[in-house]
Amino acid sequence: MAGESANGRVRQRAFYCPVSRRVHGWVHGSVLGLTMALAGCVTSTVDEMVFNEPIEGIGDSSVVILGRRHASDYETEFDFVNCVSKHITARDSNIEIIDELEFINSLYPWFEPRTAPLRPGDIDRLMQQKPVAEQLAAMKLEYMIWVDGSTVQTNSAGSMTCGVGPGGAGCFGFGTWGNAADYEATIWDFTDQAEVGRMNTQTSGQSYMPAVIVPIPIIAPVQGTACDGMGNQLLEFLSSEH
Amino acid sequence: MKGNFPPPLLEPLPVTIGVWYEPDFLAHEFYDEAKGRSDSTWIVKTGEAQVQMWSQLLRGMFDTIVPSENKPSPEQVSDAVAAVLVARVGELQYAIPAHTNVKVYEIWMRYAFELVSTNGDPIAEWTMTAYGKTPTAFLRSDEAAVNLAAVVALRDAGAHFITSFEKVPEVAQWLENQQMDALDKEPSTAL
Repeated sequence: MAGESANGRVRQRAFYCPVSRRVHGWVHGSVLGLTMALAGCVTSTVDEMVFNEPIEGIGDSSVVILGRRHASDYETEFDFVNCVSKHITARDSNIEIIDELEFINSLYPWFEPRTAPLRPGDIDRLMQQKPVAEQLAAMKLEYMIWVDGSTVQTNSAGSMTCGVGPGGAGCFGFGTWGNAADYEATIWDFTDQAEVGRMNTQTSGQSYMPAVIVPIPIIAPVQGTACDGMGNQLLEFLSSEH
Repeated sequence: MKGNFPPPLLEPLPVTIGVWYEPDFLAHEFYDEAKGRSDSTWIVKTGEAQVQMWSQLLRGMFDTIVPSENKPSPEQVSDAVAAVLVARVGELQYAIPAHTNVKVYEIWMRYAFELVSTNGDPIAEWTMTAYGKTPTAFLRSDEAAVNLAAVVALRDAGAHFITSFEKVPEVAQWLENQQMDALDKEPSTAL
């Protein structure tokens, strides 16, 4: 469900439960066979505010998506940034996204947690280093996207006991835990050294694991949903086809 | 300990520096003994990785690096280098989830640096900190996680050294003197 758009600002809210998948287990000796994997439900909210969206895509320029890791109590997961990158390139292969680790290593030490630019104006300080300016020019970098946030476990309850005996093995019990993901993406126009867009994705969901002989995981794809939400918004910004 | 340390991207300083690694620095390690049945004993040997990182970093930071096999002293006077850099790990602290109940492995190090003349006279002494952390991950052992945090800390040490070296007052003065000496040695061209 999308909210109204005013001055380039959009809010979308969604609640959905991914389609269940049945996974056939295998029978070996006395081990039980069939396992059913279900997916839990997730609530997702996406806020977007853009200023100077490219009308015809980014052409042959490139984009880099980087995670913020300067805070002491959390860091943006490499997996999440990789997920967002893959989400975009899978839907528009014309968008060239530089791999995060490759970018950080090729520009060491200017994008370490201690030295990474925190504001678009800091790019000017970077460009005063001639080798850095040459490297960035060679990459044809147009947009630098900073992703800041993390996925955390919010609560957990229940207990489970598993045992192995001469007659077989099994588990009994029930466990539940909640996850919440909160990420913000800030888009910098590298050429103009200005911020041109900001998106926020918040998702939450509860996972369950009942066990009657066999544990039945019902996992809410919280981080995956956040990745999809942010990836879709960035795709709309960067791509001429979406 | 194993890690990937990329070369720094910057214009090298126009000086030739010697570097001497003390035996304690070469053999640096830290460990944690298991205190219960659920804990594990692990040891992380950082010496080799330290030398790898610092050698890579200093090669990119200065025109020429000359490894020194002995501590600079008045008995050894060499014109090959302008000065000798000596590094040592002054202090190391670590934290693992078993200690803190926080799902993060952390390493904090304090380095002590000396820049000495080729006959051992001190030019500058300063300390510098480095910090690295890594979150917990499914099926990753304490030793592997601490290794990863140590790699992050070494990268941070390199970044901190590059951005702070010229800000040490005695080092800044020494670099200025080196530049003036280099200008004096250039042949003058008369019109």
